[in-house]
Amino acid sequence: MSQPTEIHTLAGAYALDALTEIERAGFARHISECEACATEVAELSETASRLSAAAWEVPPSRMRDAVLAEVSHTRQVTGGKVERAVHGDVRRWRRWTAAAVAAGVVALGGMATVWVVQEQRVGDARQQAQQLRTDQARVNAVLAARDVRLRTADVPGGGKVTVAISPSLDDGVVLMSDLPAPPEGKAYQLWLIRESSPTSAGVMAAGQRTGTAVLDTVGSADTLGLTLEPVGGSPLPTMTPIAGVPLA
Amino acid sequence: MSARAGRGGDPGWREQPTARIAPVDSPPVGPDELLRQVARGDDQAFTALYDAIVPRVYGLARRVLRDPAQAEEVAQEALVEVWRTAARFDPAKGSATSWVLTITHRRAVDRVRAAQAGADRERRVAAASVETPYDDVVEEVTASLEQQQVRRCLKGLTDLQREAITLAYYDGYTYREVAEKLDTALPTIKTRMRDGLIRLRDCLGVSVA
Ligand SMILES: [Zn+2]
Repeated sequence: MSQPTEIHTLAGAYALDALTEIERAGFARHISECEACATEVAELSETASRLSAAAWEVPPSRMRDAVLAEVSHTRQVTGGKVERAVHGDVRRWRRWTAAAVAAGVVALGGMATVWVVQEQRVGDARQQAQQLRTDQARVNAVLAARDVRLRTADVPGGGKVTVAISPSLDDGVVLMSDLPAPPEGKAYQLWLIRESSPTSAGVMAAGQRTGTAVLDTVGSADTLGLTLEPVGGSPLPTMTPIAGVPLA
Repeated sequence: MSARAGRGGDPGWREQPTARIAPVDSPPVGPDELLRQVARGDDQAFTALYDAIVPRVYGLARRVLRDPAQAEEVAQEALVEVWRTAARFDPAKGSATSWVLTITHRRAVDRVRAAQAGADRERRVAAASVETPYDDVVEEVTASLEQQQVRRCLKGLTDLQREAITLAYYDGYTYREVAEKLDTALPTIKTRMRDGLIRLRDCLGVSVA
């Protein structure tokens, strides 16, 4: 095998930090000259980082004070890079909010959404377990579909909203995990947004922070938004979304 | 049953008058934007970023190092490095979350290689388990989607791809050590790490702008 071919194959080991320090330095130099490897390493590093999802753990609280104290007297290196303009998502939200305000009334669709509540023990336990299994079967089917498309957004303050859509199954699921605790009297509500018009896609229970929603119809929505609304939900969002997942 | 809220909508709130939209708030701020603000010296943005990401940082350090005290040290060092070098973050190369975790992983791996001798590592790995069994349906839906995805996609790899990747990422082995442990030729391990990650990338739907 020739040397040039050989070195490209190190992209995986590099992304996993599986090279020795010397090899790592050598490959870092190679990346600066090889665009194909630079692109591949960017993608494979992003992929490797996902593996850490399995390792989520809250550290001792003293660490926060220690880090913030150290940061307060640590000088930053300067980058000298040009700042990018307004983020695309921000523009989209501004546009949506402005349009929704201007329209005044936005039509509500007949979205059928199923919330699976883990944090509350209510109703008939057996019935609930059965429903969980049915919903879970759909969730699993979507996640296992060959054409599943996954889109994720981080929620400020913690947690994530992820949408998985399978065009072939014409089914979609929303998974929300470890969201910040909603304030008293508020609940998370999901919105499917098409061309700046929001349609409710379901309300979580008061205080609920983790849940799975099955979307019967995604239709032509381009964004899934998350807001905090009074318990029981609102006909229209009462705030700018705190997170948005682009669906396109 | 309140667990089933939302099927077809609740007529109770649909009949309410509409148009209760509040004035435009400040835009949503995710890790990418926070990190850009950190690069400009914004310590409040750093605090917000810390709170958003620290369980991933500490969890990863803990996974690689096992020892809580060492994990705490490494996580702390990594987070201070994030503050110090935030200006080097390039969103064209990936997400802020991945950038922070890459810094963390590299530090954790460097530490584990420096600190631990062979015999010790053998025991450490024997005690480690890559997958947590989830036989309870409620636990299954409670697991974060990312965990579910990662588990599902790891299952889609060949045994050799999966072992090579997990030994390197979760346990900090070099590819040479992995080749030795798996009694497989070096070029094969390199290739399996790469094509395994490529398969994971496609399965997880990872793309970089
Ligand atoms: Zn190359």
